Amino acid sequence: MRLACDTGGTFTDLVVEDDRGQVHMFKAATTPADPVTGILDSVDAAAAGLALTRAELLARSESFVHGTTHAINAIITGNTAKTAFLTTQGHPDILVIREGGRLEPFNFLVPFPKPYIPRALTFEVSGRIGADGKVTETLDEAQVIKVIAGLKRKKVEAVAVCLLWSTVNGAHEKQVGKLLEKHLPGVPYTLSHVLNPILREYRRASSTAIDASLKPMMSRYLGGLSDRLRETGFEGRLLMLTSKGGVMDFADLAEAPIHSIGSGPSMAPLAGRYFAQTDVGEDTAIIADTGGTTYDVSLVRRGVVPMTPETWIGQRYRGHIVGFPSVDVKSIGAGGGSIAWVDEGGLLHVGPQSAGAVPGPACYGRGGAEPTVTDASLVLGHIDPAFFLGGTMKLDAKRAETAIRDKVAKPLKMSLMDAASAILRLATENMVNAIEEITIHQGLDPRGTVLIGGGGAAGLNSVAIARRLGCSKVVIPELGATLSAAGALISDLHADFRALHYSSSTSFDMKGSNKVLSDLTKRCKAFIKGPGGGAKNSSIEYFAEAHYRSQIWEIDLPLRKGSFKTAADVARAREDFDAAHEEVFAYRDPDSEVQFVGWRAVARCRLAGKGLGNLARDFERSGSAAKSRKAYFAGKGSVSTKVYEFASMKSKPVKGPAIIESPFTTVVIDPGATARRTKSGSLVITP
Amino acid sequence: MAKKATRKKTKLDAVTLAVLNKRFEAVTIKMANTLLRTGRSGVLNLARDFSTSIVTRDCELLAGAESLPIHHLSGADLMARAMLDLHPDIKPGDAYLHNSPYHGCSHPADHTILVPVFDKKGMHRMTVWVKAHQADCGNSQPTTYMGHARDVYEEGAIIFPAVKVQENFEDIVDVIRMCEMRIRVPEQWRGDYLAMVGAARIGEREVLAMADEYGWETLHAFEREWFDYSEKAMIAAIKKLPNGSATATSRHDPVPGTPPDGIEITTKVKIDNKKAMIEVDLTDNPDAMPCGLNLSEGCARTAAMMAVFYSIPDSVPTNAGSFRRIDVLIRDGCIAGGGKHPTSMSVATTNLADRVTNPTQRAFSMIKDGLGLAEAGPIFPAALGVISGKDPRYNDAPFVNQIFLLDTGGPAAPTTDAWLTICHAGNSGMCFIDSVELDELHFPFLVKERRLMVDTEGAGRTIGAPSGYCEYGPVGNTDLEVAYVADGAINNAKGTRGGGDGARIQNYLRHKNGKLQELPACEDIILKPGENIVSYSAGGGGYGPPKSRPVDKVKYDVDEGWISRKRARDIYGVALTPSGAVDEKETRRLRR
Repeated sequence: MRLACDTGGTFTDLVVEDDRGQVHMFKAATTPADPVTGILDSVDAAAAGLALTRAELLARSESFVHGTTHAINAIITGNTAKTAFLTTQGHPDILVIREGGRLEPFNFLVPFPKPYIPRALTFEVSGRIGADGKVTETLDEAQVIKVIAGLKRKKVEAVAVCLLWSTVNGAHEKQVGKLLEKHLPGVPYTLSHVLNPILREYRRASSTAIDASLKPMMSRYLGGLSDRLRETGFEGRLLMLTSKGGVMDFADLAEAPIHSIGSGPSMAPLAGRYFAQTDVGEDTAIIADTGGTTYDVSLVRRGVVPMTPETWIGQRYRGHIVGFPSVDVKSIGAGGGSIAWVDEGGLLHVGPQSAGAVPGPACYGRGGAEPTVTDASLVLGHIDPAFFLGGTMKLDAKRAETAIRDKVAKPLKMSLMDAASAILRLATENMVNAIEEITIHQGLDPRGTVLIGGGGAAGLNSVAIARRLGCSKVVIPELGATLSAAGALISDLHADFRALHYSSSTSFDMKGSNKVLSDLTKRCKAFIKGPGGGAKNSSIEYFAEAHYRSQIWEIDLPLRKGSFKTAADVARAREDFDAAHEEVFAYRDPDSEVQFVGWRAVARCRLAGKGLGNLARDFERSGSAAKSRKAYFAGKGSVSTKVYEFASMKSKPVKGPAIIESPFTTVVIDPGATARRTKSGSLVITP
Repeated sequence: MAKKATRKKTKLDAVTLAVLNKRFEAVTIKMANTLLRTGRSGVLNLARDFSTSIVTRDCELLAGAESLPIHHLSGADLMARAMLDLHPDIKPGDAYLHNSPYHGCSHPADHTILVPVFDKKGMHRMTVWVKAHQADCGNSQPTTYMGHARDVYEEGAIIFPAVKVQENFEDIVDVIRMCEMRIRVPEQWRGDYLAMVGAARIGEREVLAMADEYGWETLHAFEREWFDYSEKAMIAAIKKLPNGSATATSRHDPVPGTPPDGIEITTKVKIDNKKAMIEVDLTDNPDAMPCGLNLSEGCARTAAMMAVFYSIPDSVPTNAGSFRRIDVLIRDGCIAGGGKHPTSMSVATTNLADRVTNPTQRAFSMIKDGLGLAEAGPIFPAALGVISGKDPRYNDAPFVNQIFLLDTGGPAAPTTDAWLTICHAGNSGMCFIDSVELDELHFPFLVKERRLMVDTEGAGRTIGAPSGYCEYGPVGNTDLEVAYVADGAINNAKGTRGGGDGARIQNYLRHKNGKLQELPACEDIILKPGENIVSYSAGGGGYGPPKSRPVDKVKYDVDEGWISRKRARDIYGVALTPSGAVDEKETRRLRR
């Protein structure tokens, strides 16, 4: 038996894969003060559902994969460790100055971001290394020891060390590390060249600072969770989901907790890729995870999960850069709770403000007076007020109507239904824009691709989104409401190794490049043998980070092999680069030299079997649902619409207008669209 | 002659309006992304000194998200108009290279690629453009800022008044060859040119895709209605402002070719909330001068318009619609936008343009507390110089580029402290700042020090940015040429409503023996091995009396080392106990 547990803002999802390969979904309330309690509650819910005791369930589980927003929440709420920043003499303000850049040039209401580590906890360290790795000024140990004495006085709980050019020569950082161990024992620290050997000091310093600041609390959290699971009889492997869309052992993650920042959302593309392949046989898909307040989108291309080199906590330029590539999941403020409003010029907006869980949409009847997307869907008849969350929560349609009438319909002089329809259309448009940013802006035409809809609110407008983008199919997996936890069950153990080494297409350093690649291969193999031991299978992928001469932003170029044997191999890599450049940026420059800057090898070890089982029927609908109801569709008006139960739907296609409901989600099939159910249990819709 | 489309009136719903606005914005962002990722010179791919916009067939600015303000508010319109006037026979597949300040461009270093977009019948429907500051533009010296040039001839830039550079999507190689003969490090220029054309063609492709989806009539209806919406939003915003007027002046430091006390710019702001109009009068200024500081018309208008938008909510779009409510008065022959060929406008986007924006934004603050801004720091610490030389690591390959090592200069806003890295008024913080490591990798130099200076903020209720210190010099046995045109060594950024002034700009040469020698405002210097440039960026002015700054903020500033305890006490009237806590009683006494 395997367990995958995703702690979200409101709910802790637990997905259990039983020994027959069937999958079960459970939810418990998240307990922010002590998240482990929520996790154990979800385990209890699963135990009850499977007629076992907590101890029996845990004892029979071979692995526990965990995703949590614990790290990111600590950063956002300012609850990380008191961390010091050690930097090269003469360069104390790296975290203050950053890399410049600004959004909204006419907006002087947004303050300049404060540095991740305050200046009061920033210390300059003697010594300087040049771009060629040569020491131009030696490190004065006595000076460093003095600095460390200062850290002790200030009761610093963690230390981030980032010195210029440590990526080329890490000697000074290592020396500082040794001195910290000797003079500040027990205080965790992070060295930038060990954690993240990338060019650009702000990015590297920011990674280092974030990582160090998470060390004390993440060690405590992981230790605590591990202890409490082990106490109750769990003997299996403890794995944590990472921002890179894989898993790491708890112990390794405690050494580099920065990798848990995107833990959770990063799994949606993995799950999405799986369903795109399983349900419609496609390897390119747009994956959208719709929650109450955020809409997370990503694009899987040719089976490859997208990565971004620029992960930011908060807004670009206004937040903090993570400095690591992570699964490229774009998040916008849009979802069921997004508020619709009309501005002074008479323009309708939806979001980015959200009614959140409190007070929530007007129809929740908890004091919310602003109309939301959920209210619009309710007014249009798409949601059944009696069957929201399986009927556990009754919705108030009257309140939804009042909010939409007063705040949108009247100011725009529209009918109630037109206003509700416009809200949904604009919400759709915001979501489409988010998808366009990850498709069209990257040079990929979304037309003809598959849209995978995950998250509880995905079904409300996925067909509309797909139509707007020209997608060929929409897939709503039955496990979609817990897409991240489902992804966790099929995630790989991975390690990413990277080295800087310059080489050029005009004078290719075959020997040097091959040496770097073979070193990377060795590290991958050691990983596969070590943490990856016992994996079902493993693979190594190679990438070059390359650009045309004088460009500074690299393109990730997948390499065909892990070594270069002949000049023809080099020529092929060069041609591949031209093609990749043209694909993304609309032109190639075959006359220009191509420079290879960095090399990467990624080891992947598959821990799970090949796929996910079907969802077991643990819930039966209480009471009988109406067979049909009136629902409003733009261009058609109010029409009688058939209602189907998700779990009992068969493979026979259903024609829109129709509504398909489950305790976890409502799927709207617009007029003209058709839906069928696949063997895996997913809905496949032709929009 | 391009055929005129028949003009039907299609009416759009509010939702389509919002949708199309986002689509057009997205087109300009996509163009910008292409340019950043594929540009070759540091000024593009590191500093992001470029802009992308879309203008209508009537040459009105429609969308320009994420552009440098000084590049495009006015100028987009003038350049597109020049293209149509000079080329009545534009065709699909054409692209035009434009950098002539006499035909609407900002200054000659800002090469602009204009691509007219046509429907299937060959009717001109829109124009997309990409403007990028070049690493070099063929000036007589290796800098894109020729502050001391007497005229365009001494300046030396090769001028392209909307010159056709592509036909049938192919380069007109004569023009490319001319550039390659006259622009330093020609392969760098050519790489940037490719990136610009690539970005413009992506813009064209996107607009055509929108036309396929919506039809041209809908897009044109959008233009009309979006402008009307923007104007309505602008009217609503101006109606909330008080009636009033104010006059403010600002003085640029002297450089060769200006009077000995520099150039004073006077700006007169008038808010008429009944008519919902804002007027900025720049006519009361001297005639154009024999130097490179003269403002192009585009820059003069934009410099004034920017300041207006600082007092308008950010939600009001900046396009031809909202611009209808702004009147910028310019006098023929005047240094502020009225100069004619062969007046040099080499430095038009920065120095004197800021001397228009700064007093104008301050004039708004004089009308009412809560409006406008203090002044931003003047530009060109040597940390933003154009560097050139030969790189011994690459067989003495020549290099030339503008570096952006450290700028600050942010002005205090009524309720918000400065945005630190504003660069200068016309930039508004949109440029990036170089990574020390990347610069050291690309150029044979070493950045010894880069830090922000204590007690240099523009004091106030809200504070202006502090000064930034930067020291760099050549490595190895090689020379390094550095050129810049500094303003603000004498005339610093003014605070407003009782706020303090910003720190002065200072540039020095550090000799081998460590001694500092102050450098003149306008300099082109060759550093020998062992010599360093030392540069202090200009700070921004403060807004409101320092003694009204919240006490907890002053304490934070002390804790964080932005100001000393002494300054907290003397300037802000905040006393701290030896342990660092606020001494409430003493503070009350000091602030009385």
